[in-house]
Amino acid sequence: MSPPPRPSLDRSEAPAPGSVRPFEFPPVVSSSLPNGIGLRVALMRRLPLVTVSVVLDAGEALLPDSLGGLAVLSGQALEGGSRRMSGPELAEALEGIGTGLSVHTGWDSTTVSLTCLAERMEEAVALLAEDLLQPAFPPGEVDRFKNQRLAAIRQRRMDPGSLADDAAAHLFFSDDVPYHRPLAGTTESVKGMGPEEVRAFAGGHYRPLGAGLVVVGDVEVSEVEALARSYFGDWDGAPEAAGGFQAGPRFRERRILVVDRPGSVQSEIRIGQVGAPRSTPHYFPLQVFNTVLGGAFTSRLMLNLREEQGFTYGVRSRFSFRRSAGPFSVSTAVATEVTAPAVSHALAEVEGLLEDGPTQREVDRARDFIAGVFPLHLETTGQVASRISELLVYGLPDDYFSTYRDRIRSVSSQDILAAGREVLRAREMVVVVVGEAEAVRGPLEDLGVAPVDVLSPDDLASGSVEAVAPS
Amino acid sequence: MLNVPVERHRLANGLRVTLSVDSTSPIVGVNLWYAVGSRNERPGRTGFAHLFEHMMFQGSANVPKNRHFELIEGAGGSLNASTWFDRTNYYDTVPSHHLELALWLESDRMGWMLPAMTPEKLHNQQEVVKNERKERYDNQPYGDWDERIQALVFPPSHPYHHPVIGSMEDIGAATLEDVAEFSRTFYVPNNAVLTLAGDLEPERALGLVERYFGEIPAGSPVPALPGLLDIPPVIGTTLREEVVDDVPLPRVYLGARVPSFTSDRFHIAQVAATVLGGGKASRLYRSLVREKAVAKDVLAYVFPLEVSASLLLLWVTGYPGEDPGTLERVLLEEVEGMASVDQEELDRAVAMTETQLLREIQQVGERADLLSMFDQTFDDPGRLNSELERVRSVTRSQVEGFASELLGPDNRAILTYVPGGAA
Repeated sequence: MSPPPRPSLDRSEAPAPGSVRPFEFPPVVSSSLPNGIGLRVALMRRLPLVTVSVVLDAGEALLPDSLGGLAVLSGQALEGGSRRMSGPELAEALEGIGTGLSVHTGWDSTTVSLTCLAERMEEAVALLAEDLLQPAFPPGEVDRFKNQRLAAIRQRRMDPGSLADDAAAHLFFSDDVPYHRPLAGTTESVKGMGPEEVRAFAGGHYRPLGAGLVVVGDVEVSEVEALARSYFGDWDGAPEAAGGFQAGPRFRERRILVVDRPGSVQSEIRIGQVGAPRSTPHYFPLQVFNTVLGGAFTSRLMLNLREEQGFTYGVRSRFSFRRSAGPFSVSTAVATEVTAPAVSHALAEVEGLLEDGPTQREVDRARDFIAGVFPLHLETTGQVASRISELLVYGLPDDYFSTYRDRIRSVSSQDILAAGREVLRAREMVVVVVGEAEAVRGPLEDLGVAPVDVLSPDDLASGSVEAVAPS
Repeated sequence: MLNVPVERHRLANGLRVTLSVDSTSPIVGVNLWYAVGSRNERPGRTGFAHLFEHMMFQGSANVPKNRHFELIEGAGGSLNASTWFDRTNYYDTVPSHHLELALWLESDRMGWMLPAMTPEKLHNQQEVVKNERKERYDNQPYGDWDERIQALVFPPSHPYHHPVIGSMEDIGAATLEDVAEFSRTFYVPNNAVLTLAGDLEPERALGLVERYFGEIPAGSPVPALPGLLDIPPVIGTTLREEVVDDVPLPRVYLGARVPSFTSDRFHIAQVAATVLGGGKASRLYRSLVREKAVAKDVLAYVFPLEVSASLLLLWVTGYPGEDPGTLERVLLEEVEGMASVDQEELDRAVAMTETQLLREIQQVGERADLLSMFDQTFDDPGRLNSELERVRSVTRSQVEGFASELLGPDNRAILTYVPGGAA
C-alpha cells in the first residue's frame, strides 16, 4: 500500500467565501373575502407547481381531555368524501390529476392542503372546496378512521420514542393543560367518538372567519382571487370561540421518572419542562440558545454525548412554540448501560449553558447557521405555504419573514443568556426515561440529583400518575 | 416536459462532474456519489460501508474532527450522508457564495482522509453506529423486517442478502486497516460522481472542481462485487417466515424479485407498485383499508437496486386481533388481481409520478442527488429529463405481463409479524 498522495495545492486553510447573493422571502399579497377568510398569495416560478392550503382555527388545544383527538379524527375523516362524491370517487378524482389532500392537525390549527401542477389548480381547488365545505362524514368511514386512530395509539405505546414523547408531555404539563395528553388523544377519549361528534366539531370550527387560504406557486394573483371567490365565497360562519389557557407545569422540582419497558436494549430519554409560547418576546434569542445547546450537529449536546462519549446515535433539543407555552425538550436514545451517565452529561450541558452562557464563537456560528439555512427551507411551494400559514395562525405581520434573518443576526450573547434564564429552570427539569427499569433505576438513583420513580405505560395510558403525586 | 439543465464533464482522474444551473435561490447543492455500498462488503465485515461513511466525518489531513460540520453549519449550510446497497452519498447544501468551502471539504476527505484516522475515532464511531443499530432495529417494533426480507428474497451468496447496517459483531470487528483499504479501493475519483446543482457559474464552478479534485490520483479499477450475482429472476417458490414478537399489530410483508433498476422493465414494476399501493385510490388501499377494513395501513414500493434484481415490497398492517392468515389471503387476492388492469389506473399512476418528481426537484439538494443517481447508474445524468417518458410509455399489457411473470407464487417471500412475546 502506498502512502496517501501529497497535495501540491495549499489546502491548509478553508477558502474564503465569495460575495453574498441576496435572498428575498417571496412577497406575500394579502386580501380577504367578505366572509372573513384571509387570502395570501406568493409567487414562485421555478417549476409549474402550486400549493393550496386552507388553514383553519381547528386545533386540538380547543378540546377538553374527554374529546382529545377529535380535531385529528375530524381532519382525517375528510377523506370520507363530500355529499356529492364518495371517498373513493374523491380519491380517484384527485389522483387522476396527480394530487391528493393532505390534512395536518396540530395543537393550534388544522391545515388542508394539496400540491399539483399549476395547470390543474382550478380542478384541484374545486375538489378541495367541495370536500371541506360539504363533507359527508359517512358513519362507516368515521368508524374506520376511529379504528385507525385507536390502532395508531396502540402503536405509539409500543414504540419507545413515541411512548417517551407522550410520557414527557404528560409529566411536563399539569392535568388542566391540553398539552399534557397525546395530540391524537387516548384510547379512552377516542373510543366514544362517532359521526355526530365529528360533524359537530367540523360544523363549529371549519369556518371562514379567521381562516386562511394560502396559495404559493406558478400562478397569477388575479387568477387566485377569482378562484377564491368562486369556490369559497359562499362559505360562511365564524368558528366557535375558545378561551386561551396558561400552560403550567406538573412539578416544581426536579424529578426522574422511569417508564418501564422490559426488554429494551436502549433507553429513550427526554429532559425538559414547560417552555415558552410562540408570542414570547424571547423567540429569537431562544432559537439561538437552542442551536448552541442541541439544535445543530455541532451543538454542545451532540459533541458531548455522541462525538466524545459515543453514548448515542443522536441527541437534540428543541422548543415547541405554540399559542400557549409548549414544551422544551432534550431527546436522545442511549444504550441501557449508559443511561445514568447520559442523563448526567445532558443535565450538565443544560446547567452549564444556563450558568455561563454561550461563547462568542458559538453565538456567531449559531446565528450564521440559523440565518444561513433559512432560505434552504424555503425552496418548495409547500415549505413557503407552511411558513405563510404560520403568520396566519400566530397573528404575525406579513413582512415577518423579510426581517427574520436580521432579527436572528441582531441577537447578542446577553440576550441569549437572559432569555434562557427567564424561560428555563434547570432545577425543575423533569427527566423521563423509557427503558428497562430494573437496570436503570439504581444507577439513576446513584446520581443523587432527584428522586426516581417507576411507572408503567398503563399508568400513563389511564392518565393516572399515582406513583408520583404532584408536589 | 422536464428540462433540467445538465452540463457534463470528466476530469483526467476519472471523476465525473455534472453542473446544473438554477439561480432562483442563492443556494447550491454539492452532491457526491461513491459507487460503493453494502453490496461491496465481504463476509465478516457487514455494515462496514456505513461505518466508513461515519469515519468520513471524523476529519482529514487539513480538517480536524467536527470541523466539517462546524464550517458548513457556520456557513449556513446543511449536510449529511447515507449508505445504501449500491452507493454512499454525501451532500452539502450551502449558500452559493460558500461553494468553494464545500468543494475543499469534500476533496480533502476524498484524497487525504487517512492521515486523520485514529483508533479513538474509530472506537467512538463504532459505539455511535452500534447505538444507531439499537435505535433503529433492535429497540423498534418490526425493526428487523428489512434484514429478514432481504435474507428471504436474495440467497446467502448474493450481496443484497445482508442489511446495510450490518451485524453488531461485524461493526465491532472493524479495524483501522479495514478503513485504509476501503478508502484506497473505493474512495477514488474514478469511482465517484460529483454533481453541483443550483446557483452557480458553470465555468468558475468547473475551475474550482478541477482545482480541488483534479490532483487526486485515480485509483485502480474497483474490484468485482463479491458473491454470486447470477440469480434467477424469481425466488423459485413461496418462502414464509413467521415472527412472534413484541409488536403492537399484526403485519404481513411480501417481497418479490423484480427487474433491476438498470433494466428497461424497471418502470413496469414501478407503475405496478403504484397501481397496487400508491395513494388512496390504489387497489390495496381501496380494498383492504377502505372496503374490507381489515388493514390499518398498506404500502407498496420498488427499491431502485442495480445488481441482478431489485426488490418489490408490499406490506399490510392489520388491526388488533386480526388473523394474519386473513391479511395474507386478502393481500394475495389483490396481487393476483393485477392480471387485469385499467388504463385509468395507469393514467393515475403517471399523473402522481409526475407531480411527485416535480416536487422532488424543487430542492437543489434533491435535484443534485437524482442527477448523481442517473450518472452513477446509467453514466447519463440527463436521463432525469426523460424519466417521465419511460413511466408514461408503460402499457396495460406490460403491467399484466409483469404480474403474471413476477407476482406469482413462485416469487414470494412472505414475512409475518404476530403480536406476542413479552407484552
